[in-house]
Amino acid sequence: MASVALSEAEKVYIVHGVQPLKITVLKEDLRVDGRGCEDYRCVDVETDVVSNTSGSARVKLGHTDILVGVKAEMGTPKLEKPNEGYLEFFVDCSANATPEFEGRGGDDLGTEIANTLYRIFNNKSSVDLKSLCISPREHCWILYVDVLLLECGGNLFDAISIAVKAALFNTRIPRVRVLEDEEGSKDIELSDDPYDCIRLSVENVPCIVTLCKIGYRHVVDATLQEEACSLASLLVSVTSKGVVTCMRKVGKGSLDPESIFEMMETGKRVGKVLHTSLQNILHKEESLGTKRQKVGFLG
Amino acid sequence: MPGDHRRIRGPEESQPPQLYAADEEEAPAARDPTRLRPVYARAGLLSQAKGSAYLEAGGTKVLCAVSGPRQAEGGERGGGPAGAGGEAPAALRGRLLCDFRRAPFAGRRRRAPPGGGEERELALALQEALEPAVRLGRYPRAQLEVSALLLEDGGSALAAALTAAALALADAGVEMYDLVVGCGLSRAPGPAPTWLLDPTRLEEERAAAGLTVALMPVLNQVAGLLGSGEGGPTESWAEAVRLGLEGCQRLYPVLQQCLVRAARRRDAAAPL
Repeated sequence: MASVALSEAEKVYIVHGVQPLKITVLKEDLRVDGRGCEDYRCVDVETDVVSNTSGSARVKLGHTDILVGVKAEMGTPKLEKPNEGYLEFFVDCSANATPEFEGRGGDDLGTEIANTLYRIFNNKSSVDLKSLCISPREHCWILYVDVLLLECGGNLFDAISIAVKAALFNTRIPRVRVLEDEEGSKDIELSDDPYDCIRLSVENVPCIVTLCKIGYRHVVDATLQEEACSLASLLVSVTSKGVVTCMRKVGKGSLDPESIFEMMETGKRVGKVLHTSLQNILHKEESLGTKRQKVGFLG
Repeated sequence: MPGDHRRIRGPEESQPPQLYAADEEEAPAARDPTRLRPVYARAGLLSQAKGSAYLEAGGTKVLCAVSGPRQAEGGERGGGPAGAGGEAPAALRGRLLCDFRRAPFAGRRRRAPPGGGEERELALALQEALEPAVRLGRYPRAQLEVSALLLEDGGSALAAALTAAALALADAGVEMYDLVVGCGLSRAPGPAPTWLLDPTRLEEERAAAGLTVALMPVLNQVAGLLGSGEGGPTESWAEAVRLGLEGCQRLYPVLQQCLVRAARRRDAAAPL
């Protein structure tokens, strides 16, 4: 992750803001930028930013900038699951994000994020994979989700999961039909209408909430400075119904069992709110249709 | 094993015959959800490694070796920022490099040695779980290499690897705050599922969700946590974590005895 130079005094300032000095005093729910412990920074989401993809989204969360492109391609289903399509994730940490990612430097972080994404989607209910099947054992849709990290400002996992959900919402897969000849050879026909496509249901796509432990309290959506003060974090992947699909401890430190239970509850609470706001924004953007003002990369 | 160009590999599309066989495996037998399989642990068995450990739990067999401390490569990082909590600056702290490998014959299907993403992920999980326990500040500019080799996968492989790695580190004489004990859990699919402690390979394959917990028993701190699947609401996951922590505490006395025996053996073998 990008490193930031923090002095001891700055660290103490951040930690004391988050946790109260005296336990009898009212809790000081105050972080350096004035947010409470469970508040997110302002999130900008825009979909359909890249024209060559089946779906794309760009998310700006504070200084973190993520671009996700989804391409749907036809391929053969996996042997163990012949009736389903699947998703492939690839994460690229571009050298623009921080100088440490130059050359192969960002590969480790990229594989870590990609593995986490595989884990959170590794269950039956997140994405309806059966709808991606064209003909069993022979053809299916493979969704290549490519994540590009443009700028790193802390809290990468959350921003990436929001961007992936928005991109999957925006994905339009062309409708195909399988025609069988008399000899039994199959032919795939793409419909002529470019707007005739199937959309994925993203109701159950989870979002990641990272809770960083600072002192003995935990905060949501940590900036780079706050991440430098925290020894351990818990990554929880929550769906809109409050179902947890993945849990992972990140960082060099250890966590108390009681604080893990508290963090899970906070993660579920914050995750539900995040999902409702994201759904509202995505539906609103969709309803604007062609009247929508495209901001793109200049805003 | 990596980059092995001389060995003749099987054809690209080779598959095991079980895929075409009728599905005749019975469902795993009902059992007490809190039972732990009997564990055999032995430390100090490899002559070439600084510390080593072998752990067997049911059908899972893991061998772990530790080497180091030796000079850290890529030491040109310069004076990094001071770590959180006032420890030595990042450049002066020691590093723990973990490697997790599966033998090609470990699972039901043969997997060629560069195992791809899964081995990297488990190696990272090993590192994140062992770092809280090792006093890396006492090994400035050095690196410790931990390599775990899974000989047979009989369920809860990551948990067994974690425990074996901690035993190997202790056997190597690396300064640690506490041992790390790992425990695996899985949740069967179905209407009223319960979490099963220490699942076998069959139970893990049919599971809807799996979880591995790593605990430092004396300090009672969770060193590592990795879980995924359709676990259900947070209460269900919380119950699983509690069950896992309890399992780890139950396993601790066996590991203590193993280390004591290894120390006695080393004592007896040392020339007077």
